[in-house]
Amino acid sequence: MTRKLWHSRELSTVVILLLEILFFTWYLWPEAGRTHPFFNPENFLLVLKYSSIYGIAAVGAAIVIISGGIDLAPGAVIGLTTVITGYAFVEARWSLPASVLAGLMVGLSSGLVSSWLIVRVKLPPFIATLGVMGILRGLAFIITEARFYDLSAKLPPGWHVAGVSVEWTAPFVMVIAALVFQVLMTRFQWGRAVFAVGGNETAALFSGISVGRIKTSTYVIAGVLASVSGVVLAVVQGQGKADLASGYELDIIASAVVGGASLAGGRGSVIGAVLGALIFGVLRNALPQIPGATFYDRLIVGLAVIVIVVMDQVLVQRQKRNA
Amino acid sequence: MKRVLIVLSAAVALTVVACGGASQPAGPKKLHFALIPKSLDIPVFEYANKGAQREAAELGNMEVTYRGPDHADDLKQKEIFESFIAQKVDGIAISVLNADLLTSTIDKAIDAGIPVVTWDSDAPNSKRIAFYGVDDFKSGQIMGEQVAKLLNGKGTVAFLTSLGADNLKHRLEGAKDAIAKYPGIKIIDTFDIKEDSTRCHELIETGTNRYPNLGAWISVGGWPVFTASNVEKVDPRKTKFVSFDTTGAALDLLRSGKIQVLLGQKYFGWGSESIRILNDYVAGRKPAQVIIDSGVDVVTKDNVDAYEALWKKMEAGGK
Repeated sequence: MTRKLWHSRELSTVVILLLEILFFTWYLWPEAGRTHPFFNPENFLLVLKYSSIYGIAAVGAAIVIISGGIDLAPGAVIGLTTVITGYAFVEARWSLPASVLAGLMVGLSSGLVSSWLIVRVKLPPFIATLGVMGILRGLAFIITEARFYDLSAKLPPGWHVAGVSVEWTAPFVMVIAALVFQVLMTRFQWGRAVFAVGGNETAALFSGISVGRIKTSTYVIAGVLASVSGVVLAVVQGQGKADLASGYELDIIASAVVGGASLAGGRGSVIGAVLGALIFGVLRNALPQIPGATFYDRLIVGLAVIVIVVMDQVLVQRQKRNA
Repeated sequence: MKRVLIVLSAAVALTVVACGGASQPAGPKKLHFALIPKSLDIPVFEYANKGAQREAAELGNMEVTYRGPDHADDLKQKEIFESFIAQKVDGIAISVLNADLLTSTIDKAIDAGIPVVTWDSDAPNSKRIAFYGVDDFKSGQIMGEQVAKLLNGKGTVAFLTSLGADNLKHRLEGAKDAIAKYPGIKIIDTFDIKEDSTRCHELIETGTNRYPNLGAWISVGGWPVFTASNVEKVDPRKTKFVSFDTTGAALDLLRSGKIQVLLGQKYFGWGSESIRILNDYVAGRKPAQVIIDSGVDVVTKDNVDAYEALWKKMEAGGK
């Protein structure tokens, strides 16, 4: 069981993450007497907090990619979710749970519309979700008219849930989502069907899998998880704003791919996607702290994507040879 | 594979233990300040960095780290700000992208004993120790007055702004306030650039096509003058142009007559003054007032040469 849950893909991603932490710990070692700018507990919590915005959505992205699809909408879903949650809570004066539920509806409907376009209208997933992305971002701007909803003013200051500051709910949600979907993907019929559809759609169809339903489920899950990320963002950061998470879809997809998801479908892991989000989170946090590296950020992150995926493949090959 | 993992974890732990025992330094502690711009892709902020580094070199025994989001992303700026709190720097100077989002975080830094100075764009409800920058309403009024003069009190005006930033909002209000005194001048539209210079180019072109007889453009930010091509389609015989900022192609555009009036900010001062205020604060000298008006330079064809000479001197590291 543990062997199956924790097989080589995830392990090689963990190794890469540890190497990365080791490198920055060594490279950014401060002059004596000064706090380490990277290796300190407060900073690790920051990495976790900001990575989880990507990580929660990356779980959904990985599932869609494993099923052979692609979802470009998560950034826009996150943005519109913060706006709807903010609108319901601040303007319409709904209760917080009701507002959160309204926010989650964004992801649910986005997933349903995307999958309808893909399964019924037979649009390529790239085009269908590109269109949905534009519509959602547009709606967010129409609703806010460049204003924003300040949730923080109505939330209790220094809010704690079960003794933990609300700030740390995001990493918590990310870990729960990763564990739940890891089990669903590896131990349940549904998860195996997602892998089967991504691996070979025709074969999956002939073996009696309802391909349309499986695809629909993956886009709905991806939409809802992106919405969860948006709700967490709205509540924790206290704002509903149309341009939040602009362009994050590419980071979310990259997280899933670095975590082992194959864009050809049929391969990948949701825990890997979360680890991928952490790999980027560490890069985002540590790279700009290297003097003079500020302008090299983008280039290094781009190179890192390629190097990490290649390293990952090498590690997996070696694992296979040793086995 | 598991072995690799264990070895790596052990290595991480060992490095930490080994380096943790390093000896303490002698002499006064070197100060570490952070300078955070709104984004790295807006050229004017680089001058703030130059000013800050010059001031740091002059004051001595300090280091200034310049770090910001690579484009105007509220959350990324907040993440960077928080990471400086986590490293316990001695002070932070920031041009705020989203005041409401950052207010509680600025207060958190202050409560943790890290002084914060805002520059260029303020977070007025926060506990920051000072704000250094232009009085935006007043500088907006100056722009409005200049346009009224150029139009002889009658004609149409269109605005260029980026919605969301407080400082731009106040400049816009100031300009509208000044123009309201001239019943012959009509405001026909306000365009949202979204802090994006490409979009600025596009909006000026489409706006020029739509309103060929426009009296004047007023840009409350410097996007149009960063590159000469942005205002290429504007015909100065029909349409006047007044813009904030004096960087990029601005001075050449002024000389060629494409643009009539520029408002220059104290770009180098954003950095140097912020660092000076932080350094004073750490040494126990609080700023005399919280809002420090930097003033603006009104640059026209008549004084452009003198302005440029001074600029070159500052760019070379002078005062």
